[in-house]
Amino acid sequence: MDGFEYIGKNIGKIDAMALATGQPLFTDDISFPNTLHIKILYSPHAHAIIEDIDTSEAEKIPGVKLILTYKNTPQVLHTTAGQGWPEPSPYDTCMFNKKVRYVGDRVAAVAAETEEIAYEALKYIKVNYKILPTVFNPEEAMKEGAPVIHDEEGISGVYNPKRNIISHIEVKAGDIEKGFEESDVVVEDTFEMQYVQHCPIEPHATITYLDEYGRLVIRTSTQVPFHVRRIVAQVLEIPVQNIRVIKPRIGGGFGVKQEIILEEISAFVTLKTHRPARLVFTREEEFVSSRTRHPMKVTVKIGAKKNGIFNAIKMYALSNNGAYGTHGLTVTSNTGSKTLPLYNKAPNIEFMADIVYTNLPVAGAYRGYGATQGYVALEQVVDEIAEKLGMDPVEIRKINHIKTGETSPIFKALGEGREGVTQYIQSEATDKLLELGTKEIGWYEKIRKPAKDATKVRGIGMALLMQGSGIPRLDMGAASIKLNEDGSVNALYGGTDLGTGLDTVVAQIVAETLGIKPEQVIVYAADTDMTPFDKGAYASSGTFISGGAVYNAALKVREQILEVTKEIFGEFDTKDFILKDGFVISEKSGKKVSLSEIAYQTLYLKKQQQIMATNSFVSDSSPPPFAAHFVEIEVDKETGIITPIKYVAAVDCGVAINPELAKGQIIGSIVNGIGYALTEEYKFSQTGKLINSNFMEYRIPSSRDIPDIKTILVETYEPKGPYGAKSVAEININGPIPAIGNALYNALGIRIHKLPYTPEKVLEALRNKGA
Amino acid sequence: MKVHYKINGEEKEFDIQPGELLLDVLRRNDYTEIKGNCYMGTCGACAVLINGVAKTTCTTLAAQVNNAEIITIKGIGTISEPHPLQKAFVEQGAVQCGFCTPGTIISAYALLKNNPDPTEEDIKRSIDGNLCRCTGYVQQIEAIKYAIKLLKGGK
Amino acid sequence: MLKLKEVEQCFYPNIIEEAAKLLKESGEDTRIVGGGLHLTAFPNPAIKTLIFLNNLKLNYIKEIDGKISIGATTTISELANSAEMNGYLKGNVKKLLQSIASELLRNQITMGGSVAQREPYSDIVTMLLTLRADIVIHDGEKEIKTPISDFYKSNFRATLKKSVIKEVLLGKFDASYKFGMKRFIRNATDIPLLNFGILTQVNEDAIKNVSIVVGARPGSAERFAQAEEFLKDKTLSKELAEEFGKFVEENVDVAGDIRVGKEYRAHIAGIFAKRILNEFMEE
Repeated sequence: MDGFEYIGKNIGKIDAMALATGQPLFTDDISFPNTLHIKILYSPHAHAIIEDIDTSEAEKIPGVKLILTYKNTPQVLHTTAGQGWPEPSPYDTCMFNKKVRYVGDRVAAVAAETEEIAYEALKYIKVNYKILPTVFNPEEAMKEGAPVIHDEEGISGVYNPKRNIISHIEVKAGDIEKGFEESDVVVEDTFEMQYVQHCPIEPHATITYLDEYGRLVIRTSTQVPFHVRRIVAQVLEIPVQNIRVIKPRIGGGFGVKQEIILEEISAFVTLKTHRPARLVFTREEEFVSSRTRHPMKVTVKIGAKKNGIFNAIKMYALSNNGAYGTHGLTVTSNTGSKTLPLYNKAPNIEFMADIVYTNLPVAGAYRGYGATQGYVALEQVVDEIAEKLGMDPVEIRKINHIKTGETSPIFKALGEGREGVTQYIQSEATDKLLELGTKEIGWYEKIRKPAKDATKVRGIGMALLMQGSGIPRLDMGAASIKLNEDGSVNALYGGTDLGTGLDTVVAQIVAETLGIKPEQVIVYAADTDMTPFDKGAYASSGTFISGGAVYNAALKVREQILEVTKEIFGEFDTKDFILKDGFVISEKSGKKVSLSEIAYQTLYLKKQQQIMATNSFVSDSSPPPFAAHFVEIEVDKETGIITPIKYVAAVDCGVAINPELAKGQIIGSIVNGIGYALTEEYKFSQTGKLINSNFMEYRIPSSRDIPDIKTILVETYEPKGPYGAKSVAEININGPIPAIGNALYNALGIRIHKLPYTPEKVLEALRNKGA
Repeated sequence: MKVHYKINGEEKEFDIQPGELLLDVLRRNDYTEIKGNCYMGTCGACAVLINGVAKTTCTTLAAQVNNAEIITIKGIGTISEPHPLQKAFVEQGAVQCGFCTPGTIISAYALLKNNPDPTEEDIKRSIDGNLCRCTGYVQQIEAIKYAIKLLKGGK
Repeated sequence: MLKLKEVEQCFYPNIIEEAAKLLKESGEDTRIVGGGLHLTAFPNPAIKTLIFLNNLKLNYIKEIDGKISIGATTTISELANSAEMNGYLKGNVKKLLQSIASELLRNQITMGGSVAQREPYSDIVTMLLTLRADIVIHDGEKEIKTPISDFYKSNFRATLKKSVIKEVLLGKFDASYKFGMKRFIRNATDIPLLNFGILTQVNEDAIKNVSIVVGARPGSAERFAQAEEFLKDKTLSKELAEEFGKFVEENVDVAGDIRVGKEYRAHIAGIFAKRILNEFMEE
């Protein structure tokens, strides 16, 4: 972007050097004397009632200080989902339940002097289980007679617990059946997605302690510090004011840390023993007992006219939430709300979904948040329609995608647990994305003439995507900025940088607005005592909402500075003043005064005040970023192995405040998505136990697994975003599966309906095709 | 039992249980720059140089490497005097959450010590044991290439 | 967290005789530690005694009496980077070694450890069987050399309770020998879900002295005698490669497991068999 000092510049992340030199920045890098270590006992059964639990033997072990079970912990039904209050997720779990609902569900926790003692003590806890019948398939779970997973008293927010249905969604516009009747071609297809996990390299970690005044402090690897505070208060039945939550650097989250699953246990131990407590997940616990992506079965049916314009789009999503209902309604709402508006030419739309309990690991928030699964189906059916019409896949998208100034009824119809908000697209350059992306991949050269030899065939495929930037009229962030003697500022904001670089973007926004250097912005974030509220890092809201709040606060500080300057200059039209290089300069007279001088004056000398402002930001729209992804793959016809060769992502995230950081988000999402497409999947035993709960058997991409990746940032200006910015954090993970699926079809004329696209499935599809 | 190491140039002696892992011994002695938690040698975040070779400390018995010379990320550079690899990682956007960064830089450091002019394949191979979920590796590879330029005296 | 809680004693013998003696004397819950990967990644909490091989300096690669002698604690990386592997069997062994697992694991996995553990998914075991390596052990008094396939046919686990692997010997093969090994992996740093190796002499296109090994079946790697019989004395040709591939697919002894199915294992074994022969023709 032109005309800016810091917006659009690649300043290095402000915490990067500290991270690169190994400073103790993460939750578990600081230890406290006298800490109790906590280990959790998990259920070996997928569905059972705990008839009795006897901890007496375990309590006798020297070094064991406290054992928690449902018997001695508050029985407060709540949701573990870190969402805004009132959370649109069922209140269907207590800290410890009397029933276990999946292999890996929590039964008890031991707090002891060392990890080894705590772990050893688990063996001595005697549990009498009454084993119940299980159900692992969501379709089976909804049937009459299926085992009822949540039959406890007092749960709320569940649509039909007797049929294991957490939520049911139905949204319509126009007349869908008529829409299909009017169409010249109709295609319907179904895709099934597997269980996958975020695999943050830092697992969940929490440390709790009482400060000098006896107040509970929770130091935790979380994306949602303010929701942690509120929900821990709720679960432990203590006032919010008694809790402080601090977020150190986080070693990756991707949504799995948008959950309150360790903090309440650790906090309870600290409150009962008055000692610091530590709870860190092993990699196995991270796989089994934290959260996953929602496995989904998505059916999309599109009806189009001869000219290629879509007339009717129907989507049905069957979402498997696992044993508890966290994020169920909202993730699956996104499956429709972040996909269907992309093709707003169709006046007849229907979105239906069922979100279901099963006796399997619990799904939660994961980058893409349901949109990812929706695009797997939508973008492949779009290709199928294009083929039926004899149209180029790029062409059919060009004539159907939403454009600047347009809207879709889905924006209002599908919110996140509430009604949505109508909005009109104000920034969009999709045709440019398609133009640049097709050029970079060589689309028109390759689409009709796939390179091939005897055994290897190439194919290209694409996917067109949108997401959102925060949730309108729901997501709120706030920031406070104050001026110091030397012209530096403290920027306190609630937003949660999980390695994404949000703190750096904040520094850039403040620096730009106040005419100082980013190094002069002291960013402090995500501390429930010290910073204003922010809903947390999810829904692609960092730059847009948290950054928006920071921008608004900076503008107010700017006003205050200019106000003081009036008297100093003796000039009264602040429109003539600019802030640059740490000075206020009058363009009219050339007079200048440094921010430092202004600070000294206002702090100590005259009409003293602290130049400082707090502001909040909530948006009435969620401006979508857009992306066009293209992939060239090579498929070995004899082995079925798919190798991505080149991947091009053309992305419109508005103004990229820090293009290098945006590039990092794009590439990281793509590589994650490639893992989701080709190699990642949970494997269960017959009894519902996760078998591949380690990196040896659950395969995520390494440096040797990446294709040649090209990112193209196409700048648009989003008037609602700080300096024109939109989001970039989630959208790109939605591309790899459909792009690869479409490329596979281009290469071999086969389409695989069950993820991941393993070599076995490729060969099976080839056999079925009769190749 | 007692073990003795030279860590980042400093002679150190620790009391350990004989079956303890080097990762646990080092972290509880404040070498918290060593990360990781897979305990199977599969994520690479716990990597250090042991007698010049990059190895995962979660699969190394503390007793086995008695008297070894160990270099952690802190022995490679500091905030005030970072190694060109650390500078390069910061400048090329290769540090996102930073949890895998110490281990990855250790692996890259080991590569460049043995091979100051690696191919792209060599670079990818050198960090293939350091899992990263944030960056997708591209900027890490670019950073290593940039570091090679810096080490050769360029820019 | 400490898993090997019962370990009481650590020994650091200076000569191999000492190591073997300590092993015999220390009883059931004793482990020799070479690289230490298996011990730590899959800890057995019953272990009481550890015998570290560090001081034995068994990380050497040298030519002796027309053989390449590789010390037991030589790591995959050390072997891959050695001068001896540069031209060995046209560099195909080096290429294989460089692709196994990940760099950090290649820096830790040892020849001796691989032989001793005989993990079904070990590429080193398949490779050594294919190369018809000899295993040299020391029982405290003397060295004993055994061809690796005989070693595995014997009760080698019992033997290794009283002896220490000293080195692995590879033959030096002239230009008429060809080696190829392929692995089915889910992504680059994976364990193999099926590996297939062929070492053969090709004299005027006629196949002689062939060894064929299939590993990660998911069972342990074994010589594929039927296939060796099939290829013996035949002439290398595209048709033979095609036929051989089909023969392997139909006759290879594989099963399915949680990672991949039986049919696929058999199928890919056949593809590998065909492709290795085709590559031999191109060399």
